[in-house]
Parts: sequence; C-alpha cells; structure tokens
Amino acid sequence: MKHRHLLPNEIDLLVDGEVGFGVAPLRAHLRECAECEAKVDEAREVAIALEELPHLAPSTLFSERVMSQVQVFEPWHVAARDSLARLVPRSAPARAAAAVFGSGAAIVLASLSIWIAGRLDILAFLSGTAVQRGREVITSLVEGVIGTAFGPAALSFVRGTGSVGLIIATLALGGAAGIAVMGVRRLATASSRRAGGS
Amino acid sequence: MTSALDLANLPDADVVALAQQGREAAYRELIRRYERPVFSLVFRMVRDRTMAEDLAQETFIKVLNNIDRYVPEFKFSSWLFKIANNLAIDHLRRRQLPTISMHGAPDATTASRIEATAFDIPSDGESALDELEARELGTAIEKAIASLRPEYRSCIMLRHVEGRSYEEIAATLDLPLGTVKTYIHRARHELRKALEGVR
Repeated sequence: MKHRHLLPNEIDLLVDGEVGFGVAPLRAHLRECAECEAKVDEAREVAIALEELPHLAPSTLFSERVMSQVQVFEPWHVAARDSLARLVPRSAPARAAAAVFGSGAAIVLASLSIWIAGRLDILAFLSGTAVQRGREVITSLVEGVIGTAFGPAALSFVRGTGSVGLIIATLALGGAAGIAVMGVRRLATASSRRAGGS
Repeated sequence: MTSALDLANLPDADVVALAQQGREAAYRELIRRYERPVFSLVFRMVRDRTMAEDLAQETFIKVLNNIDRYVPEFKFSSWLFKIANNLAIDHLRRRQLPTISMHGAPDATTASRIEATAFDIPSDGESALDELEARELGTAIEKAIASLRPEYRSCIMLRHVEGRSYEEIAATLDLPLGTVKTYIHRARHELRKALEGVR
C-alpha cells in the first residue's frame, strides 16, 4: 500500500464504512498519506450532503387522490368477522355483562335440551297421536266427498284399495279443486273485463 | 379494530397484510409512510413537481391496486421504489431529455469531444412553480444530482437518501450488483467534480 495511492473503489469502500480484512490496510494508508485522506474526506462530504437531502413533500391532497383510485377489496371472511366483532361490546363492564347473559342463555338452552331428551318418549307418543288424529280427519273428509259425489259403490272401491287408493283419491280431489278454483277466477276476471269494457 | 396509532408501530409486512385483508386504514398508512420518499425520488428524477406528483400517485395506485400480489419475501419499499423508478425512467425516455454530465457526454473520450458536449445548467425565466422548484432543488448538490444520468441518479439517491444497501438497490432496480457499484462510484465521482468549485 505504501507505493501507491488509493484506487477509486477503495475510496468508496472507506466512504461506505465497510469493515473487513481488506479495509484495515486502506485505513493504515490513510494515516500515512495526506493526499488520499483528503480525497476520502471530499468523498465523505459528498455522501453527507446527499444524506442530508430532505424528503420533499407532495401536495396535501396526495393521499386522497390516490385513495380515490384504489379499489379496497375486503374478503368475505374478513367482512363476516368484522360483523361479528361489531356485536362485541367495547367497554369491559359491557363485555362482562354480555358474557354473563350469554352464559345464562347457554345454560337455559342446554337444560331445556336435556329435559327434552329425557322426555323423548312422551314427545313421540304425543306427536304420533297428533298424526293419527290428523289422518282420521282427512280420511273421513275424503270419504265423505267421494261418497257424496260418486256414490257408495265408489266409496267401497276406494276403501278396498287401502291407504294407496285413499292417497290417490285425495290428490285427485285436491287437483280437481285447484282446477275448479282457477277456472272460477278466470271466469270472474273475464266477466269483470267485459263489464269494464262495456 | 386496529387504530391508527397501532398501525404506525407495525412493520411494513404487517401493514401490507392488513391491507390485503381490505383495511382501508392500512392502505392510508402505507401512503403516509412512503409518500415523501417516493415523491422525493421521482421529483429529483424528473425535476417537475406536477409530473412528479402524477408519477408518484400512479406508483401508489399501481402498487395498492395489486397489493394482493405482494410476496413477503421481498421488501415492500423495494417494490414501491422499483415501480416509482421505472415510471420516472419511462417518463424521461418519452421526453428524451438529454442528461449529459457537466463534464461531457458519457461516450466522450477526447478532450475536444468532452468540451463540445459539456454544458451549463441554464437559468431562464421562471414561473411561480419553477421558483418553488428552484428553491427546493436549487442547492449545489441538487443541481449536481440533476446533471447525472438517470441510472446514476436513482442509484445514488437510493444509496444515500434512502439508505439502501447495494444488494437492495440491485434487487430494486433489477441490476447486477457490480453495475450498481459502478453506477454509484461514477455518480460520486461526477458529484465530487461538480461540487469542487462550490467548496
């Protein structure tokens, strides 16, 4: 190092504050060579001047102008989480009260579920009784209509086919009733139009 | 809900993650953090305040509208500066501004050629905006920076104004590490020469 001055890239190493094996001889040379030391000082001055350059500010509306052209996309799961989060009270006392109320409601629901599960046999009996009663009502209604409309022979035939025949007869009567209602409505509409036209 | 104060204390990667979740406050925080550095870089590249604002806005709009494509392996700021630099360079190329060193064109090798291509920065009649720009960019160092080639300019500013390492600059500008070192070395040399008369 004593027989030559620092190369430009070596000056850069010192300005960049590099450390390592290669740098020690360079520093040693600086202690002995005023010319190289002056060059390094000059380079450091430039670096300092650059580092002291301020960050320039854009206009005050810069942020708003950017945001007006940015599409903020919120994924569905984030939106759902935010909706749930809004239900949570903000203050600690309110959260405590909500926790107590929620726990109470959970206990009541759990107790009710256990009570119902313990009485499933009663519920099954009651529901079965209700279904049987409903079936009897519908059967007597359908048999009454068939007997009245088509006579005792038709009624005996339907009874002879069992529940399948009864279901078919019910559907047929229901369909016929629906068609009849639609027909009456159309007639009524047509007559009201004629009355309005005339 | 993350407050503005919380966002200010979060690292970039966390703020970007919140932005990817659709938090508008996170978008604004990213703008707040980097509007000055990005604008400064672009302004010193194009030396036109209005154009610099437009280019800086375009930078943020591009980045934020594609925030879902950001990968955490790379620094968010590097991505931002990369886009800003590319927009500034594209603008300069479209304008075909000759950026010749105060000591001659880059390809000038003989003394006569250097003298023929060297130039002084002219000062013509200034508008109010020009006056503002001149005040902001009127110091000797700013004028010296203006005389650098765009590639040197962006490298030297990322190095010394933004404090990036050589490796980060290489990644940001998609340049080989050796090229970045060369550009910074040449930029320093030209700036030293330019400032010799001022000291």
